[in-house]
Formats: sequence, C-alpha cells, structure tokens
Amino acid sequence: MESMSRISSMLETARDLTLEASSSVRKSSNRPIPAQQLKKLLDSRNEREVLDALRKVIAMQYRQPSSATLPFFTPIIKNLASPSLEVRKLIYIYLLHHAALAPDTTLLSINTIQKSLSSSSPQERALALRVMSGIRVPVISQIVSLGIKKAVGDMSPLVRRTAALAVPKCWRLDPVTEPELLEYLAGLLADKQYVVAGAAVMAFLEVPGWRGEERLGMIHPVYRSLVRKLVDMDEWAQLAMLRLMVYYGRRCFPRRTRRVRRRPVDGSGEGEDPTKGFYDEEPERESTRNDASGDGEEEMILDPDLELLLNAARPLLQSRNSAVITSVARLYLYLGTPTYLDLAIGPLMALLRSAQDIQQVALQNIVQVCLVRPQPFVRYFSHFLIRSVDAPAIWRLKLEVLTLIFPHAEPPTQGLLLRELEHFSRGSNADLVRESVRAIGRCAQFSNATTSARCLRLLLAQISSTDGTLVAESLEVIRHLIQRDPHAHTKTVIRLAKNLDTATSPQARASIIWLVGEFAGLQPGNNIAADVLRILAKGFADEREAAKLQIVLLAAKVYVHHLNMTNSSAEKASTPVVEASVPMQSSIIASPEDEGGFGENTPDPNTHERAEETTKEKEPDHPIAVLWRYVLLLARYDTSYDLRDRARLYKALLAVPASTELASLLLLAPKPVPQTPSPSETRKNYVLGSASLVIGDGGGVTGLRGYESLPDWVKEGEEPDPKLRDEVVSGGKADTSVRQLTASERLGSATPPAVEKPNGLSMSSGKEKTLDDWLDEEEEESEESEESEETDEDSSEEETEEESEDGNEGDRLVK
Amino acid sequence: MSAIEALYIFDEHNNVILEHVYTARPPLAKVLLPLWLAQPDPRPSVIYVSNTNPPTILHSLIQNRLLFLSPCSEDTEPLLILEFLHRVADALEEFLGSPLLASKIENSYDVVAQLLGEMCDAGTVCNTEPDALRDAVEAPSWMKSLVGGLGLPASSPALTPSSSSFSLQKPQLRQTLSNTGSTIPWRRANVRHTSNEMYVDMVETLSVVMAPSGRCLSAIANGTIAFTCKVSGVPDLLLTLTSPGGRMGIEKVFELPVFHPCVRLPRWRERPGELSFVPPDGRFVLAGYEVDLLPSPPISSGISNSSNLQLPAAIDVQTSLGPTGSDFEVRLTLSNRFVSGATSGSATSSLSSIQPPRPGSTGGFRTNSANTSANPTVQDLIVRVPLPKTVRNLNDLRPSRGEAHYAPGDGTVEWTLLNKDITSLSTAVLRCTVVGQAGEEENGATNGYEMRTDTYDYDENEDGTGTSSYQSGTSSGSSKRREPSSTNTVEDQDHRDMRKVRQNATLMPSGANVSFKVKGWLASGIKVDSLVINTKASRGLGVGVTPYKGVKYVTASKNGFEVRC
Repeated sequence: MESMSRISSMLETARDLTLEASSSVRKSSNRPIPAQQLKKLLDSRNEREVLDALRKVIAMQYRQPSSATLPFFTPIIKNLASPSLEVRKLIYIYLLHHAALAPDTTLLSINTIQKSLSSSSPQERALALRVMSGIRVPVISQIVSLGIKKAVGDMSPLVRRTAALAVPKCWRLDPVTEPELLEYLAGLLADKQYVVAGAAVMAFLEVPGWRGEERLGMIHPVYRSLVRKLVDMDEWAQLAMLRLMVYYGRRCFPRRTRRVRRRPVDGSGEGEDPTKGFYDEEPERESTRNDASGDGEEEMILDPDLELLLNAARPLLQSRNSAVITSVARLYLYLGTPTYLDLAIGPLMALLRSAQDIQQVALQNIVQVCLVRPQPFVRYFSHFLIRSVDAPAIWRLKLEVLTLIFPHAEPPTQGLLLRELEHFSRGSNADLVRESVRAIGRCAQFSNATTSARCLRLLLAQISSTDGTLVAESLEVIRHLIQRDPHAHTKTVIRLAKNLDTATSPQARASIIWLVGEFAGLQPGNNIAADVLRILAKGFADEREAAKLQIVLLAAKVYVHHLNMTNSSAEKASTPVVEASVPMQSSIIASPEDEGGFGENTPDPNTHERAEETTKEKEPDHPIAVLWRYVLLLARYDTSYDLRDRARLYKALLAVPASTELASLLLLAPKPVPQTPSPSETRKNYVLGSASLVIGDGGGVTGLRGYESLPDWVKEGEEPDPKLRDEVVSGGKADTSVRQLTASERLGSATPPAVEKPNGLSMSSGKEKTLDDWLDEEEEESEESEESEETDEDSSEEETEEESEDGNEGDRLVK
Repeated sequence: MSAIEALYIFDEHNNVILEHVYTARPPLAKVLLPLWLAQPDPRPSVIYVSNTNPPTILHSLIQNRLLFLSPCSEDTEPLLILEFLHRVADALEEFLGSPLLASKIENSYDVVAQLLGEMCDAGTVCNTEPDALRDAVEAPSWMKSLVGGLGLPASSPALTPSSSSFSLQKPQLRQTLSNTGSTIPWRRANVRHTSNEMYVDMVETLSVVMAPSGRCLSAIANGTIAFTCKVSGVPDLLLTLTSPGGRMGIEKVFELPVFHPCVRLPRWRERPGELSFVPPDGRFVLAGYEVDLLPSPPISSGISNSSNLQLPAAIDVQTSLGPTGSDFEVRLTLSNRFVSGATSGSATSSLSSIQPPRPGSTGGFRTNSANTSANPTVQDLIVRVPLPKTVRNLNDLRPSRGEAHYAPGDGTVEWTLLNKDITSLSTAVLRCTVVGQAGEEENGATNGYEMRTDTYDYDENEDGTGTSSYQSGTSSGSSKRREPSSTNTVEDQDHRDMRKVRQNATLMPSGANVSFKVKGWLASGIKVDSLVINTKASRGLGVGVTPYKGVKYVTASKNGFEVRC
C-alpha cells in the first residue's frame, strides 16, 4: 500500500514542497547554550524552564557526542520526581541514552522509576517498566525481573504488553534470569488479550533459543488461541507469529501425503518441466500441469491444526504491510498446499505497486516463488514488462520472472514476450542487452522445439548487428543452445561459419570457430571444419589472440579427426589410407574458386567429389596434414607466448600419427551440456522473505549472520503429541465453539452478531474479547447494562480502575 | 534477533541529523554513510556491507530528500525494516507537518525522540498507528503555542485536537489512555471536532507501456483511496464505490485490493464495492487497488484496444530524421477531453462522469476538486526522453511549446509544458539533434576525406563498430579494405551518410515517458457512489450532525506513461 506521505505529495503540487523548503530557513536554535546556564535551568523550580532545558539537552543528544550531554546527568536525574509527565518522559529518553555511560548514577534513579511502577495510571506504569527494562545496566536485572513479574499480573493490557516486551530486554541484561522470564512469558502467551499475546510472541522470538524442543513446547498449549488471535494482532505481531508458525509447523506437523492416482514413473515429463523437483521435499512438487496430465499425484493431508493456521492467515493477504503478505506467502509455500500458495500470488503481485525500495525486495521474493510455481504468475505478465525508469536491480528481476513464466505462457503471450526481449536486446544499455539476450537463451532452453527454433532465429538475426556486445552475447547463447542438441543444429553451425566473413568481434569469432571445431567430429568426413580452417589459416595474421587460439585448437581437432579416420581405416587394412580420407579432402576442395569467404556450396560438399578426387590423390601428403603443419608454423612465431605454448602442446600431442588416443581424449572429450540456470537459482535455498535471499551470494554460503534455514518436516511419529495442543481451559469445548467466530468474521457481518455471551463460562472466556466484541458491547451497554457486570470483564475493569484508583487497585499494585 | 538496531536520518546534503540507537551496537552513522554512498547510483534498498564490524545489512529509504538508514547485523526480514522506515517517515510527517523537512526534525527533537521511542521498543517494533501515537506523544510545541495562542478550535488544521489546551484536557486524556489498547487500536478515544468533515481522495497512478507499433502492451492504474476523517466520537462509515460496469462490475475492476485494518473484509467479500469501517482519526490510506485498463489480453484484441483506452495525452517519437539521421522528434497530442478550452460537447460528457450520479442519496455530496470547472484538465505535463549514454550533447532543442532542456548528468531531455500552454494546445512538437561521442569526426570535416576513412577503418579494427559497412563492401565484390579513391566520391558520400545514419541510430532514444496530472478524472472510471454514516453503529456523534463530505479524484502519471520507438 502506498504510504500516506507519497499520496499526499501527489495530491499537493510539487511546488509546495520546494517553496516551503526554501522558505524554512533552519532556525539557529541549535546554537549551543552554555552548559552552566543549562544546568541552572535544569535546577530551576519552574517546570517550564526545566522542560525547555530538557528539550535542549535532547537536541544535543542527537547531534553531539555523548560527552557533551553526560555532564547534565545528575541535574537531570534530580527532576525525575517531577510531577509533570512530560518532563519525566524527556528524562526517560535521556536516561535510556546515557545509562550505560554512567551506570552508578543511573542506579540512583532506579528507585524513583520503581515507584512509578505502582502509579495509578496504567500508562505511567507501562512507561516506567519500559524505561527500567531499557536501562542497560546489568546489575538491575533482578529488579527488572521483579517489575515484570508484577506487571504480568497487571489489570491493564497496556502494562502486560509492556511486560512482554521487557522480557527480552531483561534477558539481555542477564541471561541467568531466563527460567523466571520464561515463566512470565508462558503466562503472557496465554493472555486473553490479543495485544498482549502478540507482544508475547514477539518477545518469545527475541529470547534466543526458541527453536529448542522445550521452548517450542511452550507454544503447544496456546497454539490454537494464538492462531485465532492472529487476525486481530497488529502487523508486527503478525509478522512474529508467522515467523514462529512456519518453524513450529515444520517441527510439529509431519507431512502426510496420500497418492491419489499413481502413474508409472515417467522420466520424460521430468526433463520437460525444469521447475519440477526444485523443492523435492515441498508439497508444491505437483504442478497444475501434472494435475491435468494425470501424473502421479501427491495430495497433502493437512493436520486440522495446521489447516486452522493456514485459514487464519488468509485475511492477512489483504494486509497493507508488504512484510505480512510475504510472510503469509512463506507460510503457504513451506507449509501449505499449492491451492493455498495460489491465493498468495495476487497479493504478492500487489506489492509491485508499492514504493520502489519495497518493490525490489518484493520482486526478489516473487522470483523465489516463481521458481517453484511459475504458472499462476503467467496472467500477470504485463506487470513484469520492463520500463525505462526501472533501476537495474528491478529490471534484472523482471527479466528473470519473464523467462520463468515463458514456458508456461500461451503462444501469443510468448510471442509478445519474445518481441519484448528482442526490443531490449537492441537497446543502448549494454547490461540490459546482455541480460535480454541471455533471457532469450533461457526462454529457448525451457521451451518446445518450435519456440526454441524461434528464439534461435532471433539470436541468429542479432549476429550481423553492429553492436559488439550484442553479437558476442548472442553467440554465447547460441553456442549453449547448439551444445544442447548438436545434431539438430548442423545447419546452424554452417550458417555461423558463414558469418566468419563478417563478424569482427574477436570473442564472436572465437566462439564461432570453437563451435565449428567442436562439431567437426559429428559426421566425420562430411563437414566443413577443414574448409573453415583452410580459409582461416589465410587470415591468421590478422586475427586477434582469442580467435588465434581457437584457430590452433580447430586445426588440432581437425587433424585428430583426420588421423583417427586414417588409423581406423588402416586397421581395416583392406582399403588404402588415401581412400579413407576421400570425403575429407573433397570437402576441402569443394569450392576451389572461393577466395575470401565460404560459399553457399559448402553445406553440400560432395557434389564435386568425384571430379576432384583424382587430382588430389596424387599429392604426396594429405592437405589436412599440410594445413596442420602450416598453422603450427604460424603459431610458432606468434607474439603471444600463450599461443606458442599451446601450439607446442598440440604438436607434441600429435607428434606420432599412429597413436592418437591421448590426443583424442584431450581434444575430443565430450563437453558437458551447459545449463544456464535462472540467475536466482543460486539463492533458491534461502527462505522466502529473508535478507539472505535479497543479498544473495554476497552474504556468504550459509547466508548472512543470524540466518536460519528452514527445518525439515518432522518425521512421522516423532512429532509432539497433538493432544498437547488441546486447550487446557476447563470450559474448553464451549469456549472453542464460541471462538470459532473470529473477530474479522464478526467484524464483517453486516448486522451485529446475535451471539450471546454464554453465561456459564469461566471468567477467562468472557475476558477474551475481540475488536468487534468491543464495538458491539459498548453499543449494547446501555441496553443490557446489568449483564455487563459479568461478561464485560475488561470494560468493567477499566471502569473500576478509574473509579477506585486509590482503593483496592492501589493495594494490588503497590509492592 | 532484534529487528531494528538503529535509525539514522540524513538531510539532502548527507549531514547526519538524527542518530537513534535502539539496541546492540551498530556502526555509527558517519561510518555507514560513506559505505552507502560508495554503491553505484540507483542504490538497492537493501545493501550488504561486509567491511564493518560486524558486517551490516543496510536498509535505506529516501523520502522528501531525506535519507533514512537502518543498519542490521543479523538476517532480518528486509520488508519489515523497510515498512518500519516508511511508518517512521509517515509518523514524522504527521507530527511535524507536511512536507517533512530536515529543519522541522531539528527543531523538535524532543517530539521525534518520543515518537521513535514509542514506535520501537529496544528493537521490537511495537506501536506504529498514528492515532495511538498521538495519544502517547504530544504534537510539537510550536504548534501547540500557535494554536493555543490564537485560540482556534482544535480541529482546524491537520493537527491533533488534543494538542490544543492540553493542560486542561490532560487528566481526562490520561484516563482514556488505558482504553486505547483494548478497544480500537487504530482510533483514539474521545475524538472531538467542532466541524465534522470527511474527505475521500482517490488517486490513480498510471502505468502504461506502448509498443513501437502503437499497440498498448500494458495499461494499469494503481489506485489508492486516501481518507480524511474528522468526525467526533466513533463513527461507523460505509463507503460505496461503483465502476462503469455497474455496481457488481466493481469486483472485476477493483483488482488485488489491500485494505487498512479497519475495513471489514467479509463485508467486502460479500458485497464488493462496499467498504464498511470505523476510521482512524485524521488522514489515512483506506485501500489500495489496481485496475487493468486493458481488460482483455492485449494480444487477442490487437490495436483497437488502445483507442478504447482514454488517455489525456498521446505521444509519438520519430527517430533518425534529417540528412544524417541525427534528429529525433517527439510529437505530443492532447486529447480534447482534457483541455479546458475544449468544446462544450465533450464537456458535458465529462461532467456526468465526475459528478455523483444521485446527489440526493449521498446527502449533499460535493466535489471538492481544486478546479471548479467541470472539465478535467491536464496539468504539470512533462515529457522525458532518456538518451543513450553515448550521446555527448544535444545540439538543438526546438520545442514548439513549453520549455525543453537537456540534463547531461541523467542523460535525459526534459520537456515541460506549462499549464497555461496546455489550455490552448492540441499538438506540440519537440525536435532535437544529437551529437555522439564520435563527434570528432564531425568536427574534423575540414581535414579531408582520407583522414576520416583512416580513422574509421582504425575504429573498425579496434572495436568492430563498422561491421555492416564492411559487409556491404564485401557483398559488392570489392576487396576487404576499400581504398578511398577520388573517382567514386559521390558513391562514397552516400555511403558516408548511410554510415552516419547507422552510427547515429545508436544515439537515438528508445522511447519517451510522459508525466502529468489530471484532476477530476479517474482512468478506471471508478466513482464514489455514497458515503454514509451508520448512525446506529456510530457513537459519540451528536444527533442531527451531518458531516461535510467531499471527494476528489486525481489521476497522475509519474513517468508512468511510456512510449517506445
């Protein structure tokens, strides 16, 4: 969701901002007031003077080193007993900032703060507890712990909430307090107020070690009540809940699946769908495509408790907080079924509307989901079109999504996407050109033959471009494509060889030459490699080093092939050596008139075969051998030592024509088919929503510090007893039946819900109120005020609190 | 595992104006800033800095030219921190007044300190609702003194009502504070306004991409409903939206909505178009949505679609014009409907579109748009043409209207049309001539032809720019390097022009972006049908009080309308 300030900037004219900015001259109120004078003001009896002085000190605190404000510690602390809340608030801010620097003086103030813990106003009690726990002086840990203990039993949810938030702070002061803190926390987690329970969950995650068996055990009894409160919690508590629940779910709900229909295992489908098997342990394994084709289908059996959680998270998909939406997507991705995950796709897309900083992180998360399940994203393809205003990080991710959804799109959409990529491959931004060409390559990789051929045509068209980077990048991608299926691309190689006439970029030439050499062995005797070599040898001197290296390599390969063939035919012994090499030589002399380029007739070199055969046969040495020696000679006197070294190596390898095993092994080794994975595939093991996912490899192999990977599903039989999650409240049954209506459901019903408060319920169930209960009840209050005595426990509490501030209320709170 | 470790704010000159450490010991602001600045310019919002101790993940947000930085030493959800930064920026703006300026922060550090302390407790984000914050923190003192001194009613500007005469209300205020946590988290208790008002601001941001063929590839309007509520008590409101496709059509139009927590979701699901909610006090964003302006997939329906799309401006970019292909032209055409000087015929149609259909039922609904004329008018029209980095300069900028200038830094031509220009305008043209990096050739025209050919051939060898000319040379059967000869100068001249055109083709822009603002019109056609107070459910509102209601529609494009060529 757009933030308010961005919207208001759109509503008001841009000029307002600049006008105001120029008119507002920075007040020189920052001019330093002499410390002596400030001290005097702080000692003043006039509240207003003290307040002014405090403001000055706070301002100083933000702009100057602590040494400048530290001298005021004592005079400021003296005012701590001031009756004015405003003064005390500022003192608290000062105290929190400086406590660690002056621990001893700070201790003097603890007593006063402690007194505030018993204040009649819940706000002041909360404030005092917050400040006291925030003071970073380890000595006071016991006092803080006691303070929390008292606050846990407080009437006001505000104070209990503060108590929950104070727990991790107290732990940080002194971890020894952990046992008692956990005890408080258990109580707070079970709190009937969602405000308190939410804060307790946040605190729970802040105390290290929550992943332990024992600590997770604290969640069992409150699991259901927490899940039901999820909708009503504030966004930050929801985030903590979702984080906890993903972990809890993995540890406590074994993944049960049942095979709906099992088809014989078929490997072919596996190869076609690149997304399959990314998360083998994931329920998302079966894709809709497989569903349609009736593939062996694994259906996940959801534990009722898990289902409760998944459904409770659904309303959160409409949250305005992008982090919440991503967290729900994470929950569905790692715990839910594909059906649930699909629900989260739309809301994830909605994140692209937000501010650019959020957009980028959201996109990275979208890519992550897209790697697992690209199909539902297809319909949103228009959101991923690259715009000229996009930052590099954003268009990179957009390109990636486009290639990921490409194999799943309809043909017209595919056409549009390809045209889109083509458009950007002709742009002026070198990075964008490179990425788009690569994207085309990835599109070709993961799609069927016709589309793949189309991609290849597109790339081949780029080779004649004037843009060097584009040509080099296209060739690189073409090379990958050819390598994946060399037999289908013999024509392509020939076509590329023809481009040697025109291609000038050394990398491009090198790439083509390598391709020619690599596929020279495919059809021994009938290929253009030797001919290409002959022509290249003529222009050897003018080539760049990269191309020269490849020419020498090509020569070596051609020669090895030649030797292999002669040897094998020699073994057969029946035919003379020269006869065996006939097709080879014929290919060389196929176009004798050709001077500068590779003629059209090269693809079909056998036409002149017979005619030329006789003339060549008479020559004492085979032309390939002659060519080989010629290239070696050229390389020997080259300026590049690398080239000379390589030439020497090849020469030594091929010194004995009779034994070519080693050379064949070295030169003709089958090359692995290059796979160009989606760029984010390296990050696919990072948990959705984590910072490690956004940072990627920069953060190290195991992710950033503090990164926690997702636990595996708990093994069947090792999970905690589901009965542990049964609610322990005595009236549990009745309670759940009432609570089935979540607040949002009630909030949503157009008419006020007619659900009567069950009278026989324990106090606690009446106390457990949701937003709408509040709205409803306050409304009903006038009508049925007599009933409110019993049921509206909380509201009456509030009232009594105010009425009898000094009465029993005071007794309870004073230590 | 703490979420927020610290918050640093820098002003537009990168001076630290605020350093607030929540927990742990993050690196100082002055340490982090150079590391952040060291990143290449469009800086990602999340950066990993490994050369601090401990290594830090930096989250950044730039708003109103202020830089918000939040370091984090451990893996924390980046979106959580970024959302928090946004909330801080919003809260500061709400409390210190809009727009948020460095000087305002500097002048009220005490308020800022209280706010930051309330919003995040030792690293745990806890209270970000503006209303709840207003209960806990007083608005800046200068506002108090100003309002109090003048004796104005509390509700007048966008201030907090409780801030005025606070000394009187204080005890009462403190009592109510205990309630806020438990009743409605987003609404303050005891809201009182002397004049009750409600404003609905609907803003749609366009995001349109046009292919070179003129076909519309995507057209999305991102909508936001901002709501301003200044109503006493606890009002329960019902906002009904309609779309051109009828009341039920709204479900299809209103895509991917997100809502403020106050909106009753089941009600929306049951009856789309009806937003039932108890609003927070003051301004807030009620909902966000998006509308696909090309309802059917663009592929099947073809070009006809773009004509259905009613956009206030159309733009056409022609490149490689002129004898050497170094010119390009941007032609801007404004739709009649959006020019205030338009004919009456179009005026009536637009009039019906912005006025509420049934004024009686809505209870005195008034359009609160700034321009009183019924015609929606285009304002703040800016055309930006991004140029490739290889462009060295623009020789000539000839706009037929408005002002155009070239900023070499960003490599864009910015063509601004003043609002007074727009009124009497239907078409405007901007023509520019580019000069590339290879401009030395152009300057060296007196050096003679041979020289140039040499450099050209040299270039070809160096970086392979001349591939195509080489190709044409070989196809015509000449030798590999064409030697310049005086006999075929004319032919060479042609070649040279072609070559220049080809060379200049790489200097041509690949598209243009249009920014504009239209008041009184929404691209999606969504309208506010009614806004009623459910008097039964509401409390605290005096009997017979009918708040003033206003609605405002704005459609804007911030570089969002992109035309490729």
